[in-house]
Amino acid sequence: MTQSQPLVLGIETSCDETAVGIVAGRNLLSNVIASSVDEHERFGGVVPEIASRAHLEAIWPAIERAAREAKISLDDLDAISVTAGPGLVGALLVGVSAANGLALALDKPLYGVNHLASHVAVDLLTHEKPVGPAIALLVSGGHSSILKLESLTGSYEQLGRTLDDAAGEAFDKIARLLGLGFPGGPLIDREAKSGKVAIDFPRGMTAAKDQGDHRFDFSFSGLKTAVSRYLKATPQYLRADVATSFQEAVVDVLTMKSIDACKASGIETLLIGGGVAANSRLRELAGERAKKAGLELRIPPASLCTDNGAMVAALGAQLLSDGVSPSELGIAVDSSASVSTTSWI
Amino acid sequence: MTTLVIDTATSRTSVGLFDGAVPLFAGRHDGATEHGEALPRLVSGALNLGRPITQVLVGMGPGPFTGLRVGITFAEVFARSKGIPWAGICSLDGIVSGVTGEYIVATDARRKEIYWAKFDSGKRITEPQVSLPEEVQALGLPVYGEGASKYGFEADIDMIYPHPLFMLASLEWADGVHQPMYLRKPDAIPTSER
Ligand SMILES: [Zn+2]
Repeated sequence: MTQSQPLVLGIETSCDETAVGIVAGRNLLSNVIASSVDEHERFGGVVPEIASRAHLEAIWPAIERAAREAKISLDDLDAISVTAGPGLVGALLVGVSAANGLALALDKPLYGVNHLASHVAVDLLTHEKPVGPAIALLVSGGHSSILKLESLTGSYEQLGRTLDDAAGEAFDKIARLLGLGFPGGPLIDREAKSGKVAIDFPRGMTAAKDQGDHRFDFSFSGLKTAVSRYLKATPQYLRADVATSFQEAVVDVLTMKSIDACKASGIETLLIGGGVAANSRLRELAGERAKKAGLELRIPPASLCTDNGAMVAALGAQLLSDGVSPSELGIAVDSSASVSTTSWI
Repeated sequence: MTTLVIDTATSRTSVGLFDGAVPLFAGRHDGATEHGEALPRLVSGALNLGRPITQVLVGMGPGPFTGLRVGITFAEVFARSKGIPWAGICSLDGIVSGVTGEYIVATDARRKEIYWAKFDSGKRITEPQVSLPEEVQALGLPVYGEGASKYGFEADIDMIYPHPLFMLASLEWADGVHQPMYLRKPDAIPTSER
């Protein structure tokens, strides 16, 4: 294996997915995901301690299966890569400890990487031409950010973020109000297919006064309150119409602000990642608006949008190819890591 | 037989390396939230001796969850990726040595509670539990361990944390522990009960 195609195993445990992926440079060899999502259902959201316990049970089986599916021996690896933040501390620590165990047992270099940068790095596995200057919209149950990047492993700048709930959390909360279950994203997406945009729900952070400091920030708590009020005031509401109208309010703001960020930065590529990027209406509307604005739109397939180990491995492989030094022993997890830290030194 | 011994069930991170029962390396770091950073550094120190490890022994608690998982995760993945055996023991079994008669070993469970078990002349005679310190004190037995030193019992300052040497020795009498000893359910209320 040449250094231009390094064999890297990536571990991702920042939320409720225990994920291990293996890449050879920019080729995806395996992508194993064990989710504890079912265990969180009756709580209506991810319970950190439940997620962490599930990670410990699932991590070795996931590593073993990833190696088997990639048809490699762990000894063949050139490096290990692991999400060190942002995310849930207890959950991150299981992944980082597993990565430490692997790296020390096999005597391999270890890269602690940023979860958000990994969501961008997954693009390496699906596009021939590496992403150059781009705006990245990262939306999931744990984060909602607009980032500006010069190149994949170059400098990142956070232009905007959510001031309250993450977009995925908003989907979860509304799904619960509508009695649809958990996780809310795919359930609302499906329900919305049979509804129409009948209710004009508010678009958070889009008022004229927000165009200064909060031009690229999001807020979904007002929307949640509006939906809740509407449901109380309208006992005969049509569930599909509420789902469709709510979803439209979210994806309208997400796409509008990302395209505005491209225009404001003179950048012609928009990349969308994170679990919410699997939403069919978001993909559709982003496609329409990007085309109209003359932008290149890059969205990975849904299996690589949600949290996964392949994206972590892809970023690790790129760092190794670029000659970036591995992290020192004793990586400190950082639950609120900013994206300016692509990798841990 | 070269054994790597690890414990992260208390505020101390302990690592030991043994050739049979002969200590080759011992390292520790005190810090209740620093297990994740300390453990790989300590293990690296042990590995630098260049001795091929043939088995791994790890404390399975009881212990506060986040730190406890650091040691167990590391031990399992380290051993399995090398294809060598690993075993878990009760961390309370590795704290006290050389005491005769009945006594309690207690560690800090936080939230004003302690994890504890009763011992008789070096062997544990009850399952570990989590209780208020007063309930344990009412038993009227000597108490050893971090739970004793922190909650104001008269404590032996040399026997507060799991020690790799005593952990290794406990293999001779204790049963293996196969699951992390959390002893508490996660804090979470189902939506149906809110
Ligand atoms: Zn994510």
